[in-house]
Amino acid sequence: MAQPTSAQKIASLARVELTDEQASEVQQEFDKILGYIHQIDSVEIPEGTEPFYGATESTNAVRKDEVVDSCERETILQNAPDSDGEFYRVPPVF
Amino acid sequence: MSILESPIDQIAREVSTSETSAAQYVEESIKQLRAQQESLNVMISDCETQAQAEAEAIDKKVAAGESVGPLAGVPIAIKDGICTQGHRTTAGSKMLENFVPPYDATIVSRLRDAGAICIGKTNLDEFAMGSSTENSYFGVTKNPWSEACVAGGSSGGSAAAVAAGISPAAIGSDTGGSIRQPVSFCGITGIKPTYGRVSRFGLIAFASSLDQIGPMARSAKDCAVLMNVLSGHDPKDSTSARNDVPDFTAACEENIKGLRIGICKQHFEEGLNHDVKASVEQAIKVLESLGAETVEIDLPHNAHAVATYYVVAPCEASSNLSRFDGVRYTSREEADDLVGMYSKTRKVNFGDEVIRRILLGTYSLSSGYDHELYKKASQVRRLIKDDYDKAFESVDLIVGPTVPTTAFKIGEHAKDPLAMYLADVYTASANLAGVPGISLPCGFSPDGMPIGLQLQANMFRESDLFRAAHQFQTETDWHLKRPGS
Repeated sequence: MAQPTSAQKIASLARVELTDEQASEVQQEFDKILGYIHQIDSVEIPEGTEPFYGATESTNAVRKDEVVDSCERETILQNAPDSDGEFYRVPPVF
Repeated sequence: MSILESPIDQIAREVSTSETSAAQYVEESIKQLRAQQESLNVMISDCETQAQAEAEAIDKKVAAGESVGPLAGVPIAIKDGICTQGHRTTAGSKMLENFVPPYDATIVSRLRDAGAICIGKTNLDEFAMGSSTENSYFGVTKNPWSEACVAGGSSGGSAAAVAAGISPAAIGSDTGGSIRQPVSFCGITGIKPTYGRVSRFGLIAFASSLDQIGPMARSAKDCAVLMNVLSGHDPKDSTSARNDVPDFTAACEENIKGLRIGICKQHFEEGLNHDVKASVEQAIKVLESLGAETVEIDLPHNAHAVATYYVVAPCEASSNLSRFDGVRYTSREEADDLVGMYSKTRKVNFGDEVIRRILLGTYSLSSGYDHELYKKASQVRRLIKDDYDKAFESVDLIVGPTVPTTAFKIGEHAKDPLAMYLADVYTASANLAGVPGISLPCGFSPDGMPIGLQLQANMFRESDLFRAAHQFQTETDWHLKRPGS
């Protein structure tokens, strides 16, 4: 069974700021949603059942390592909130 | 009657023979949009100027005797979670309010090459997370059959645009039912293809192992015409399938004598609205009268599909949406340090449901919390898929309701996310397994709201869906009903 949730801790892992009020609301919703989700605990899993992660599990798609025309740097940086014209600019890391 | 009422292949034929110009179709579509946008809120942005220019270019080609594509002049509405080069694409989020993609999604290029004309970008639940289009930053889309009701979601704007006669076709995406549920609520037809059948390149990702793009239109035949254009391998999407693409319109013409259709008893249990049940049962009788054989089948793990989905989808979403951090995609909130900037940007620019799912996914994947949950859900997902594999050993199709109810009232589930999640109860399992499903109109409730019939088929057997759905529509006229008529 799940350990008690801590909405603020999870929000910080997910890089989402929450007010205390939001955190307590999320906590209540979580308890209800997780209560529903945990019905899968009751499903009997036959031994050797491999998890299924998606419908293309048997394919391994590769393509040639070739340089092709793609988007221009200038066009892409037009969507940047801040850049120096060549790179994205962000606030100090440290 | 509007010229947009014609079947899609007829519109393209008339444009290619100069009987009606592409400009006339585009003009009519813009006229309908202007008349209905304010009351229904189907579009986040329109493509009026570009659409007129594209129509003119097609008409010039026709006049010059050049060949034009199978969708020549067909106005089409595209969900705003799908990238259009040089035209704002928001995914229904404040986060992408000003985002202008530098490229077209593969399906957008395919549609343009076939001569289709994008008339506008339709409203959706933010990042396709929802079943009502109430979670859009750009306001709720209303149901053309009753403005007090939701259009469904997440492709609610696309479904409403077609139902309201604004465009004869639209494109949606379906992660847990987001094409099939709104087409059911709006009385039109739409298909979620097999996972991998249609390229996802340029679809803003929600849950990558579940997302699939598909067409929405007034009839199964129209959807088949669109599927012929949308389908096929794309080197830019490593999960797109290399399987041959059959002519789906040819499949429509085959009769269904001897087609084996499974009725899943789990789809007719508690929670199914009485009127929906009656209409679906009547529709099954029609299929039988056309020569289909029906048998009862068992999908024992279907009952756990929604719970499984709400583990898998939020996990994938929490990973996919980590890219929206204030660095690359237009929106940023200032802060003193980098992590502060990330956290504040995400708080301010994501809506409640998106934050809820990111946190749910982060919780399920984080060491020390519930990280066994994702593995367990993925094992249940295997059992759901095994159920389908077993069923398709003895049947060609599975029939049932698309949604347990007709369209609910705006605001009805606003305070209860879990109740909203249960709208996916019959649709989510197809995404988990990867199989295709179509929804088509099969009746109305006493208060005049449309009811949808769902057919599901084995992997890459969309032809069987089109065959049965089109034959059903040759015998019934539910798909010909229009709001307000």
